[in-house]
Amino acid sequence: MENINFGIDLGTTNSGIGKFQSGKVNIFKNPVGFRDTLPSVIAYRNGRILVGDKARELTSVQPENVFSSFKRKMGSEFSYHVPATQENKTAIDFSALVLKELINFVGDEKPTSAVITIPASFDTIQSNATKSAGYSAGLQEVLLLQEPIAACLAYANTQNISIDESKKWLVYDFGGGTFDVALVSINNRELKVIDHEGNNFLGGLDIDNLILEHLFCPILEKELGTDNLWKQMVSAEKGIYSKLFFELLYRAEEAKKELSIKESVYVELELELASKFIEFEITRQQFNELIHPKVEETVKLTKRLLEKNNVSNQQVERIILVGGTTYIPYVKEYLHQEFESTVDSSIDPTTAIIVGASYYAGTKTKQNLSTEKAEIKEEVPDQLRDVKLVYEVNSQDNEELLTGFVPNEFSGYYRVTRTDGGFDSGLISFHSKFNEFLKLVPKTSNFFHVKIFNKHQVLVFEQDNLSINHGIYNISGQPLPNDICLEVDDTLGTTYLERIFKKNDILPLSKKIYKTVSKTILKDSGAQLIINIVEGKAETSPASNLCIGYLEINASDLSANLLKGTDIEIDFEISESRDLTVNVFIDAINLEISQVFNASAKQVSIPKVRLELEKSLNNIDYEIEEFSINNRHEIVDRLNDLRLEIIELLKALIDIEDDLVTDKIYNIDERKRKAFQLYDDLVRRKNVIAEIEEYQAYKAEIKEDLLLKPNAKIEHVFNNIIKNEAQFLNSNQTSIIRSKTKELQKISHEMYYQHDESYVNLFYQYAYKEISDYSNESVARKHISNGERAIKNENYIELKAIISALYHLLKIKPKDYFEDKNGTLGLK
Amino acid sequence: MKDIITQIFEIENKIKTEDFASFKRNFQRIYHELEQEGYIVVNPLHQPYDERDASVEANILNESGQSLKITKVLKPTIYKNENGNRILIQKAVVIVE
Repeated sequence: MENINFGIDLGTTNSGIGKFQSGKVNIFKNPVGFRDTLPSVIAYRNGRILVGDKARELTSVQPENVFSSFKRKMGSEFSYHVPATQENKTAIDFSALVLKELINFVGDEKPTSAVITIPASFDTIQSNATKSAGYSAGLQEVLLLQEPIAACLAYANTQNISIDESKKWLVYDFGGGTFDVALVSINNRELKVIDHEGNNFLGGLDIDNLILEHLFCPILEKELGTDNLWKQMVSAEKGIYSKLFFELLYRAEEAKKELSIKESVYVELELELASKFIEFEITRQQFNELIHPKVEETVKLTKRLLEKNNVSNQQVERIILVGGTTYIPYVKEYLHQEFESTVDSSIDPTTAIIVGASYYAGTKTKQNLSTEKAEIKEEVPDQLRDVKLVYEVNSQDNEELLTGFVPNEFSGYYRVTRTDGGFDSGLISFHSKFNEFLKLVPKTSNFFHVKIFNKHQVLVFEQDNLSINHGIYNISGQPLPNDICLEVDDTLGTTYLERIFKKNDILPLSKKIYKTVSKTILKDSGAQLIINIVEGKAETSPASNLCIGYLEINASDLSANLLKGTDIEIDFEISESRDLTVNVFIDAINLEISQVFNASAKQVSIPKVRLELEKSLNNIDYEIEEFSINNRHEIVDRLNDLRLEIIELLKALIDIEDDLVTDKIYNIDERKRKAFQLYDDLVRRKNVIAEIEEYQAYKAEIKEDLLLKPNAKIEHVFNNIIKNEAQFLNSNQTSIIRSKTKELQKISHEMYYQHDESYVNLFYQYAYKEISDYSNESVARKHISNGERAIKNENYIELKAIISALYHLLKIKPKDYFEDKNGTLGLK
Repeated sequence: MKDIITQIFEIENKIKTEDFASFKRNFQRIYHELEQEGYIVVNPLHQPYDERDASVEANILNESGQSLKITKVLKPTIYKNENGNRILIQKAVVIVE
């Protein structure tokens, strides 16, 4: 038999839904706004039915179309008139809307049965009205549970408290707008509400108002030079202080929350009327004194409840807390002081009722209650087919129109929500066709969820992930034929390409990036910072691509030394006619350079071409040797040809040194790019694979070491290095993969030196050096002989000191392999 | 993190308009770095009030309910990108007139 599992807290102010699953309760969050609870408020505006937060905020604008606290009218004949629709509604109708909204929080497996909580004060008619609301919302089976019992179950289950013995608990429920207290008897797993007390108009909001009136207003009156500020703010006549009231209310709520964890808080306010900011302190002591009368009022009601039932304080085994206001530490302290019982606040008081209702639902099996709800049972409606949704996939506007067409004279409702929780159209009635402007989050993809309901508000069509991109693509522009990249230094002394814009991105484009200076450039040193922007393929060598923007910032242009590690901000803009604008800003030395590169003028720097050619010669020589060893003669031949071509190009460069007129340099640049493309084709793939293999080897070695000798710190660093592995291993960029391998080597090195024995090897590296390498030979000999003795005695502390002393005696210190190399461009 | 972002937002709003130019780049940089970490911060100031916009929590002053606009933002809207999905993690708290 299947259990009901779903528990619903249908509250006067807030409601929520949970499900008992695998021994615990999962609270469903509102897919719009992602909160645990839903304000029990309904509003009608612009043809929409709004439920929850957005409905509540309309209270001050059009109170006649906003309905809240309708739970108090459950089971009565009272009828609400809705001017916006000219309809009359009952508390059951509104409760059903809240329940439908809650059911909507649940993903795919919608509940057909649920436990709904009711106040202890509800009589049979009110209870039956709650059941009717549940059936109207589409539930086939509704079980009721009193709220105090739900709270007790929540505490008992989450803390495994025995409910076999006979005892009495108080359920103290201090919410946002109401206060209720119930006396519950527990005996042999049976929970029963003996009696209850309450005040329907006492809650957290009163406390916010108290803070505002008594703590904020006296200070503000002095600042603003006015009297009776509180009265002026809350008067029916809207005046200059009405806006201030809302800001103060927000600050009061924030201060209240903060005072629950801190002894004092500073409140900061912007007084637009006095054009200044003011700051003042509120202590928890002041706050406690302020709220004391309200808490005292709840205590009086609680004492009265105990007295009329002849129950002494000592007989109350536990007071359990429910409702957001019980977060305030003073409430708990004062209750403990007055009743001397255990005051239990171990679970979230705002969701305790939902948790308890769900635990209860987890123990109740579903029934076939066809008789009870037969009168309102409907057949499962057919799902709509042939619904057409028309919209633009790409947009530059803040809103984009969605039109829906449903054939066969369909009448019903639609609702569109954005999956990030920031947009909700509300429920809107329509006939055959609807139009809705969807609000878009700028410069990103927006996903929407469209639902269509029949006239009984039963879901008949659903479409997920309707996607509209904002500002990412301009539909009228041309696509980029190649990647646009910036050449940057790596930490190994070479360079690679960082993609700024992707091939097929649509023009115009703009992007801001932040880089750092990779080598110190001293003012007047003759060094330069090079910004080289190329068009081509990001995964190839920089020199094989076409330079479209080249900017040299010379040391002589600098107002101060440019230090390694300084931040550089670079803005790139490519217009529809493919003009590239580069704006470089270095805040540290207040340097700003802006340059436009025209698409028709090629950018070639002779020194840079020379440098690239010279560097490539070394690489080619190395590759020729490698391929020769592996007997790959056909590649060796082609590399030899390439070598000759590069030497020719270097010669040609010398010939045109003073040639400022002809376009020979462009010819050389073209030949150079072709040569580098060929080089890439011949060796790059092989090198990338070799780099990946080396990376994987280090990774496996470290993994194994960590398994044998776990080290949380190193494991954390290791996981950070390999985090985006798929991305960098597929980048085809040897230098990116090599940088990662270097990071792995660094931690492998660190792990190696965690073993004392490793220092023996290191010592012998120093001992076998030429004695003439040391600045003082006799001292060095002495250290070596002491070192050998230390090894014999396994005195590793001494050995480490000796190695350090030898290092300092070395005339030329060994280079740190792991130190980042200075870049050639100056940009990293 | 959302509390830190709200503090940054408050600092930004406390700077006088005439002094703001010298801080502009710093704030751009902060928001850029936040975006790299997956946080998108939206300031809805001056936007028309829209009852469908669930990313703001509005306190509405103008009882006529006509041509309502957001005139003050006490907290910005914050979205977080997680595994390719964007979710709202903080609603803006705004005053509408």
